[in-house]
Amino acid sequence: MRIDEPVPNMKTTSCLVHHFLEKNAGLFPTKVAVVHERGRASYSEVNKRANQLAHNLIKAGVRPGDRVVLLCENSIEYVFCYYGILKAGGIVASLNTDIKPEGLAELVKELEPKALVVSSKLEKTVRALDASVLQAARLMVIGPRRAGQSPGDAVLSLPEEAVAQRDANPGLAIDPNSCAAIIYTSGSAGKPKGAMLSHANIAANTRAVIEYLELTSSDVQMVVLPFFYVMGKSLLNTHFAVGGTVVINNKFAYTASVLKQMAEEDVTGFSGVPSTYAHLLFKSPLAQYRDKLPALRYCSQAGGHMPRRVKLELLKILPSHTRLVIMYGATEASARLTYVPPERLDSKIDSIGIPIPGVTMSVMSPEGKQLGPGEPGELVARGDNIMLGYYKNEEATKKVLDQHGYHTGDLGYCDDEGFLFVTGRKDDQIKVGGRRVNSQEIEDKIVESGEAAECIVFGIADPLEGRRLAGLVVPIRPIPDTEKNILAYCAAKLPKFEVPEELRLVDSIPKTSSGKPDRAKSVQIFLESEPKQG
Amino acid sequence: MAGLEIEIRQFIADRFLFGDDRQLGDEDSLLEAGIIDSTGILELINYLEEHYMIKVNDDELVPENLDTIANICAYLSKKTA
Repeated sequence: MRIDEPVPNMKTTSCLVHHFLEKNAGLFPTKVAVVHERGRASYSEVNKRANQLAHNLIKAGVRPGDRVVLLCENSIEYVFCYYGILKAGGIVASLNTDIKPEGLAELVKELEPKALVVSSKLEKTVRALDASVLQAARLMVIGPRRAGQSPGDAVLSLPEEAVAQRDANPGLAIDPNSCAAIIYTSGSAGKPKGAMLSHANIAANTRAVIEYLELTSSDVQMVVLPFFYVMGKSLLNTHFAVGGTVVINNKFAYTASVLKQMAEEDVTGFSGVPSTYAHLLFKSPLAQYRDKLPALRYCSQAGGHMPRRVKLELLKILPSHTRLVIMYGATEASARLTYVPPERLDSKIDSIGIPIPGVTMSVMSPEGKQLGPGEPGELVARGDNIMLGYYKNEEATKKVLDQHGYHTGDLGYCDDEGFLFVTGRKDDQIKVGGRRVNSQEIEDKIVESGEAAECIVFGIADPLEGRRLAGLVVPIRPIPDTEKNILAYCAAKLPKFEVPEELRLVDSIPKTSSGKPDRAKSVQIFLESEPKQG
Repeated sequence: MAGLEIEIRQFIADRFLFGDDRQLGDEDSLLEAGIIDSTGILELINYLEEHYMIKVNDDELVPENLDTIANICAYLSKKTA
């Protein structure tokens, strides 16, 4: 069943994020909303458990606008906790599950949450915090009460206590333009920034994605990305908004088992970031599944630039009926901004596409002048999906939000058909011998050589040249002379000043906590590693 | 099989656990224990292929073959039989 209203006006002023769940709990109560390993939960079950948590949070003192930290791995529990916090009027701050106590302490100090909802696996990270850091925040551990915990402990274990609570929707009157979620995003430098997304931001983006992906209640999404990423939450919200199903698989390391489950569950959509697809392409039996995934309508990709070769190989290897949808966005935009209509991918293979419904993209000069086709500048976005600002960081907010919109920090241009192209990051420019280098193009070439699954290129300080080009490469398979072969390929294809001087092989490219390639960390790893002898 | 189990255990301990495998049971999921992820699995595969002269096929990348020490041993016995 399709969301029936036409969407000429993207304003969704009356919609709250948890309404997606509540509406479909009413329409399709027994429909399976989430699958995780052997567990299956219907819309009404998820809604009931979310309501129980919401009532618990309200009872614990959570009021609209209070922050609630969610620290939980992808699971059915995550889903009802996410919506439960929203139903209680809380602002959900879903943190990276790899967070260490030091990092958690910093964020808790900034967020001053009223409560922390934590899975039993991650309880020890929270327990490692000083009592003074937690202060009055209630700690709720998802799982049965453990022996030794007294009722007086400031710990509430779910779901036992939850069962005693009411099942009905709290139905709080919440301003759709108020903050619903804080999602931390970090560049390579500086402390993480919490992008504040309102209910209206998320709802607007959800509807736009539903429209261009043509999502319906028949859609079944395979989720291998963490929900704590904005993209993971978008997969959840979009499928809940249409009454679809979300299949959670946390064992992507075992790609064969993920593909098997996709076939068994008639998965219609798969989403990944560039390293997901590198892994799927080079270390999975995807080719053998070409005829075994008749339901797979599309694969979508976001989370940064994916090398051209990987896109081309995917187009060859995926079932012929499966569309590849390349997308671009930013956490600050809830997150989707542009997409490449799959039927245009062939001719726009390097493009990030056209704006999604309700979004306008401009290319602007540093002086704020709107630029025309072919003229390079910064990509600036406007739309109902643009964040409210960064939490407690007015300075950082002012740097990216102004009367023109959200300054993405990405440089690029628009072609005469309105298709956008990204050429690099504003703050990541590498200059070698005084000449600006397009790192994305070089990285594409390295992968094009056929010996690299992923790579990253950067400038290393050099006394003579100012900067010299180097890179880290994840080889597809360990064969001798990989670095030499790749460099020879680049030398044949690129101008001399764009050929890296040295490449080192690594198992993986370091990522920031938002999953983006971490250039600064990569430089560090390069400098600390030994060059190959001989 | 005991010899195989000792070797695998040693590799995992050295490579992923800083030499300390006391807490790792034969039936413990390497993925759930956070010992292995998409990158770690490739290292494990490289080790198995080089050390035992086998080829881990893409369609064998399932937890039943690789996610516990016991599973790895059973898988290796099958492959080298």
